[in-house]
Amino acid sequence: MNSSHTITHRQLFFVIVQSQIGVGVLSLPYTLFAKAKTDGWISLLLAGLFIQVSILAIWKLCELYPKQTIFDFMPKIVGTKLGVVLNALFVVHLFSVCVVILILYNSIVSKWIFFQTPRLVVILILALTCVYCITCTAREIARFLMLVSPLLLVLFFFVAYAYSDVHLLYAFPVGAAGIKTILSGSTDALISLLGFDTALVFIAYTQGKSNSKLKAISYASLCVTLFYCFVTFTTYIFFNPVEIEIVPEPVLYMLKAFSFKILERTDLIFLSIWIVFVTTSLISYFFFTAKGVQKLLKLNHHKSAAPYVGIICALIASIPGSKLDVQLWSKLIGMSALCCSALFPIFLLLIAIIRKRKEKGAVST
Amino acid sequence: MTFFKKPKKLLEQKNTVNEDNIKGSGPSSQSNIDTNSPSEQDDTINQNQSIDDLLKSIEKSFSSSEDLMTHWIEMPADKSKVALIFLDSIIDKQKLQDLILNPLFELDKGIDLHTFEQVINIDFRKQTDFSKIQELLLQSYTLIFTKDTNCFFSVFTPVKTERDIAEPDNEAVIRGSHEGFIESMSTNIALIRKRLKSPKLVVKYLKVGKETHTNIAMLYMSDIANPEVLHEIEGRITSIEADAVMTPGNIEESIEDKTFSLFPQTLSTERPDRVAANLMEGRVALLYDSSPTVNLAPVNFFVFYQTPDDYNKRWMLGSFYRMIRLFSFYIAIGLPAFYIAIVSFHYEVIPSALILLMKSSLENIPYPPLFEALVMELTIELIREAAIRLPTRIGSTIAIVGGLVIGDAVVKAGLISNLMIIVVATTAIAAYTVPSNEMSLAVRLLRFPFMVAAATFGFLGIVFGLILMFFHLCRLYSFGTPYFAPLAPFKIGDLKDTIIRLPFFKMNSRPSDINPIKKDEDNHTRKWEKS
Repeated sequence: MNSSHTITHRQLFFVIVQSQIGVGVLSLPYTLFAKAKTDGWISLLLAGLFIQVSILAIWKLCELYPKQTIFDFMPKIVGTKLGVVLNALFVVHLFSVCVVILILYNSIVSKWIFFQTPRLVVILILALTCVYCITCTAREIARFLMLVSPLLLVLFFFVAYAYSDVHLLYAFPVGAAGIKTILSGSTDALISLLGFDTALVFIAYTQGKSNSKLKAISYASLCVTLFYCFVTFTTYIFFNPVEIEIVPEPVLYMLKAFSFKILERTDLIFLSIWIVFVTTSLISYFFFTAKGVQKLLKLNHHKSAAPYVGIICALIASIPGSKLDVQLWSKLIGMSALCCSALFPIFLLLIAIIRKRKEKGAVST
Repeated sequence: MTFFKKPKKLLEQKNTVNEDNIKGSGPSSQSNIDTNSPSEQDDTINQNQSIDDLLKSIEKSFSSSEDLMTHWIEMPADKSKVALIFLDSIIDKQKLQDLILNPLFELDKGIDLHTFEQVINIDFRKQTDFSKIQELLLQSYTLIFTKDTNCFFSVFTPVKTERDIAEPDNEAVIRGSHEGFIESMSTNIALIRKRLKSPKLVVKYLKVGKETHTNIAMLYMSDIANPEVLHEIEGRITSIEADAVMTPGNIEESIEDKTFSLFPQTLSTERPDRVAANLMEGRVALLYDSSPTVNLAPVNFFVFYQTPDDYNKRWMLGSFYRMIRLFSFYIAIGLPAFYIAIVSFHYEVIPSALILLMKSSLENIPYPPLFEALVMELTIELIREAAIRLPTRIGSTIAIVGGLVIGDAVVKAGLISNLMIIVVATTAIAAYTVPSNEMSLAVRLLRFPFMVAAATFGFLGIVFGLILMFFHLCRLYSFGTPYFAPLAPFKIGDLKDTIIRLPFFKMNSRPSDINPIKKDEDNHTRKWEKS
């Protein structure tokens, strides 16, 4: 690995933040409300806790195999042949995540901005932009993701403006939904918090102490969870519980109501900034995927895989047409992504530890 | 590609000259009894020829150019004849008379040319390397040959063709030095040395262009500039193998990291104070023969937005105007695009009071907004291009025709809306606030793709355009240093002289993106205690 491609742990923090915040932010309050009612924000916090376990597993894996991506150490853990198969499956999973990001992005853009534009065109402009962005090293990607991070503050202020007209009482009684429903809501929350798994490839490029890497990822996940929680909670106290059920993108509807003296329709500006965050999370997933394809096909550089990754994802993403299709796809892929990104690292770590123990035992006897 | 192709013929010729020199070097130490050298070596310049043959071969090597003059004089000491040879067009005859002929005849009879070298003149030198004859003649030297063809003498007699030092037109300042570089490299170096009276200022001469022999001087501070960067720049310059390297633009394009980028990767300036300040930050200056332009490298994006004026204002004003300039970057690339996006896609963004106004202005315009904008922007570029070519007296006519007649008539004729005129005019002004001409050009060209993107995808197109542009800036390097530093990679300490300008006493460290060896600037401008 070239030493000029490394990133600092501060950059790692922003990479994870940018990969986590993505398409989910607009519709998250709605999906959570569907299950956990006004206690959705508690499910979100719980999901943040669960994620911390996966993060620990990912970090431990990367510590056991320093300077290697998941595709490098997978064959070492489960054996060469099975490793190739699992790598291929993991790449398929990454493809599906990219596809679902593109699908959700398209569904929102076609609902709010372009009603008539063909799906493929809207999807292709995002995919091709991302292809250009991943044809370089991890360092430049990290620099860019860090550069656009201040936009998060703009989003924050837009949402915070809602506090001029909120009713705290809407959020009460806290915990009315019951622990069981809150827990089941947290699986939905987990899907929108995905993105921390890009650490599996970006840690390999990070310099510095192992502990500071864990801190960077954990703080990133914490920040994103709190930000999502803030957004969700704000929409819950802005709309009354009956209203939320009929607004699938509560954040946008909330902003649509605001108008400043020089700017009407704040939601359009918000959407433009939101697209940047969709792009950044897609950039990290594309990079992840391209690295996987590079490893599978034994390419010299992930650059040559990039255009194919982009175009294949765009073509697949333009298949689902109706609203129901979109829901079905995103639900299926969301569940599979949950297994692969959150549970699989824990599983892999267990095998790695058992294997290491055995090896140790073999050496000592 | 042809630019870099080695001309085979020239190489061969060069080789034969060298070989002959090596062959000839053996017997050269002996006396020159057998001066009538074999005729087969006729057309090469060789040491062991008779003086007549030598002169003939020099003349032949210059293809009998008629400004190559040979002049015989008789030495007052021993009545021996010596030959002066020079290129008439590039030497100063008055100088020749003053420096050589006059002292030669006025002095003691016993003097000969060898002693002359030591006592009379520092520009007078004994030479033994005969392969350099052509080069010396081309550099305005006058050569003196005696019968003893082991060696010859050279005098530097350049004709003075410099203009006076004046303020560069496109980099004028209100307060501060009004000196600018001129077409003479030695004068330019003198202007820099005048500002940096330090023994650590190093000048290194390089030469490119096999036919043009363009001199390049590389200036840097030996205790600040990073040796890796120095090595990189020098390596890239010496790797240029071309017949003709005429302009600084040629060299820039051969040494910059990405030629297929709109953004300039070296800063060209005509201001000595700007060069001196950048040298002190650890950058390298490249000076060229007969060009008033000096290139500075490595640079980052924000260097193009600094001007010497900033440091002569009170720091808050300096910061304010720098922020205005950076803001103008966004206006110049984004305003027409933003307007097009609003008019053709998102008119619901503007407040309702303005909608009626816009509608009344746009209602009778037959063309789509993109077409309107393109026509007006291209007209402005036309006016600009014409104004550069025209002499100043006609220039003002163009300003009136372009600005008043076209601007007013086009609205009255109902071709372009008056809002579009406002947008285009603001954009044009914004593009001219960039202190560097190259960056200003880049910005002006950038707005066209943004306009097209806005016309096809509205805000979405602008956002993707900006993402692509900023990503490009993030992955651009100037001689191995990140171009968009200190924003990407982010260094909070380096922001002090980029987006804003802090007071002088806060600037205690050099910008770290160019990795200077000496990071500390040793500024203690405020040692006194505040009461």
